[in-house]
Amino acid sequence: MLVCLVLCGKLTAVDAAPLCTNAQAGCHVLSLANLFDRVIQHSARMHGISNDLHSEFELYFLPSKNQIGRVSRNCHTSSILTPNGKENAQRMAREELTEVILKLLVAWRDPLWHFHQSMAHHHDFNNFSSNKSLEMSDMVHELRKGVQKVVEKMQMLGIISNSVSNLASPEALLASDSAEWRLMKDYDLLYCFRRDSNKVQNYLKILKCRIVPEHGC
Amino acid sequence: MLLLLLLLRFSGAGVRMKGGLRLVVLLMLSVESSSLSPPGKPVLLGCRSPEKETFTCWWKPGLDGGLPTVHRLYYEREQLEGTHECPDYRSAGSNSCFFDKNHTYIWVDYHVMVEASNALGNVPSDPLKFDVMEIVRPYAPENVTLMVEEKQESPYLHIRWKHPSNTVSRSGWITIKYQLRVKQENSNDWKNYTSGTQMGFSLYSIHPGAVYEVQVRCTLDHSSWSEWSNTTFVKIPNYLQNERPFGILVSIFSTIPVVAALCVLVTKRKYVKRFLLPPVPGPKIRGVDVQLLKSGKSEDVLGALIVNQNFPPMVARKDQMEEYLIVSDGGEWLLPAPLKSQKKKKSSFIPAGFHLDSQCKESTPSQVQENKDEMKSSSNLEQKQEFSGINFAAADLQKGASENFMQRLPNSGYVDIQRQENIVEVDGILVDYSRVKEVNGDNVFILQKENVPLSLDVQRREESMSEDYSRVKEVNGDNVVLLQKQNGSDDSFCTEKGNRYTHCTNQTQRNPHMTGLSKIGVCTDLSSDGYVDTIPAPSLI
Repeated sequence: MLVCLVLCGKLTAVDAAPLCTNAQAGCHVLSLANLFDRVIQHSARMHGISNDLHSEFELYFLPSKNQIGRVSRNCHTSSILTPNGKENAQRMAREELTEVILKLLVAWRDPLWHFHQSMAHHHDFNNFSSNKSLEMSDMVHELRKGVQKVVEKMQMLGIISNSVSNLASPEALLASDSAEWRLMKDYDLLYCFRRDSNKVQNYLKILKCRIVPEHGC
Repeated sequence: MLLLLLLLRFSGAGVRMKGGLRLVVLLMLSVESSSLSPPGKPVLLGCRSPEKETFTCWWKPGLDGGLPTVHRLYYEREQLEGTHECPDYRSAGSNSCFFDKNHTYIWVDYHVMVEASNALGNVPSDPLKFDVMEIVRPYAPENVTLMVEEKQESPYLHIRWKHPSNTVSRSGWITIKYQLRVKQENSNDWKNYTSGTQMGFSLYSIHPGAVYEVQVRCTLDHSSWSEWSNTTFVKIPNYLQNERPFGILVSIFSTIPVVAALCVLVTKRKYVKRFLLPPVPGPKIRGVDVQLLKSGKSEDVLGALIVNQNFPPMVARKDQMEEYLIVSDGGEWLLPAPLKSQKKKKSSFIPAGFHLDSQCKESTPSQVQENKDEMKSSSNLEQKQEFSGINFAAADLQKGASENFMQRLPNSGYVDIQRQENIVEVDGILVDYSRVKEVNGDNVFILQKENVPLSLDVQRREESMSEDYSRVKEVNGDNVVLLQKQNGSDDSFCTEKGNRYTHCTNQTQRNPHMTGLSKIGVCTDLSSDGYVDTIPAPSLI
């Protein structure tokens, strides 16, 4: 407990609230900046994988890049209002931005799982792609838990209000669990996820540099 | 052309004009206007966003068509109704369209095309569809500076640069990563280094006196790489003068002990030779007690080694039979694995190629010399069981691929266990040993019938050998040994020596290169003394 107190005392004022009050030996206090870095790294990796998979898909299916016609790519997450530029994202309230991130992550959990299932049965794809799709599906799940932890920490530190709803609750899940994504083709699914994972990564970075700007922004 | 137009007007007014004249006029008009045409199709070269906040598109106009042509860019956007025109044709230069922050939306699809139009028509280009996220490509880093610094007498190159202009990465919106490459002036080998987000890099492996070229480029998150920055040159000052005399000194001092060592080696080469190539120890003849040798009682030893006709056959043989037995074995002190369970200390083994009378010639070259003497001395002797001692002794010498082990029998006999693969060359005949298969009782073992995979040489020799040897196939009771029938040849060729032999058929020819010694009495009969006499094998097998 003494060790914890010493450790906690060394942290900055923002992180001063100790989490190891139960006097557990060897408990490790993670600063908020540290937590943010981890989730950002995680989201970067997730986007990297989605990028790779999308490129591989293009090789297989060779969809025409410049299809004549109205731009009408309907991702099932189009209903979620997301800021489309730097200023918009910076202007958005922290709670709102955090909610957007969580909504996106929750919305992709089931589609990615089903995508992986369909990939596993697809004979055209090698094991490497199949592994990537599984990894991607896992990552979205893990990232959501990670962001949840960050939110909890922020709420505990008083950085954001408690209005951020717990999106693990069934009601929230039901709301976002529309059947739209089932109608989407695999290629469109990948395209949409590549975009959304990029959004998540950028929003997390913006959030971090707004809340804990002194650590590598 | 104007004149023609006027003509047409007048002709139109004058209805009396013939239609043919009108046609002619029209033709002339068309001929004149063949140099004028609608514009050529423009080509959209591409779009680029250097900082993920604005972007620019460029196109290449087609052929003019002779008329003043105007290019217009139109775009459609996801989540935006209708088609819109480019907001800014100037900021990015000619044939370009610049989208500022207000018009740039990330993570939405843009559908862009350029239209060339003149008086005679409009020609659209092929459209381009993209998301701004995909077209991000930063400018090259700037202000690349090189500095040679010296730390602890070893120079290194410190490279520094600045982020490309117009990118501000404080808000976390973009993360710039850098990469640099270095090469010496005269070579074509670029070496790449990744710098991450640091805007400095230290290069340690530099050669004094060389000129280096350095270039840096960067990427925004997962975007494409920028161009390489302009090359920066640096010359490393020469430090060689200081090092040279030191190097010479070091080399001189290091060669002196080497030379001295060489001299010592040369003068004492005999000792060196003895040290490096120790003399091969003399053969250790089994059945010969080393202590006995040392103590000087050479008679027994010699008696064991030297066989002459004066040697009392029976008695000596018996003695030797008691004392020497060569057994082929899996090269282990212990029995081969299947026999382990039955291993008894008192077991005696009878070699498959039980050539009591055979003379075993050492097959390994290292021992040939020593054996030859023994062989020669005993070469005049007939095949006798008393040679068995020699055989065994000689067989002992044979090493082949395995080791020979002696197991002392309680009645002070030796059993030599040899690996089956060892081929004992007996006067030019190779002999195989069978593996001991089973041991019954104290003095009996059953040999495993096996086709030994032999080399061709061995096969050849085996045939000749088979005339004289037969393998023990089975041992019944204490006194009977069943011999294995050889390949096609008659075995159990027994000598007529002594009443010890039962009647054996002399069916095979003597091998021409067998000496008297090498005649082998294969038939054995186990006497109560614990050795085996030959019995006719074919009848039993």
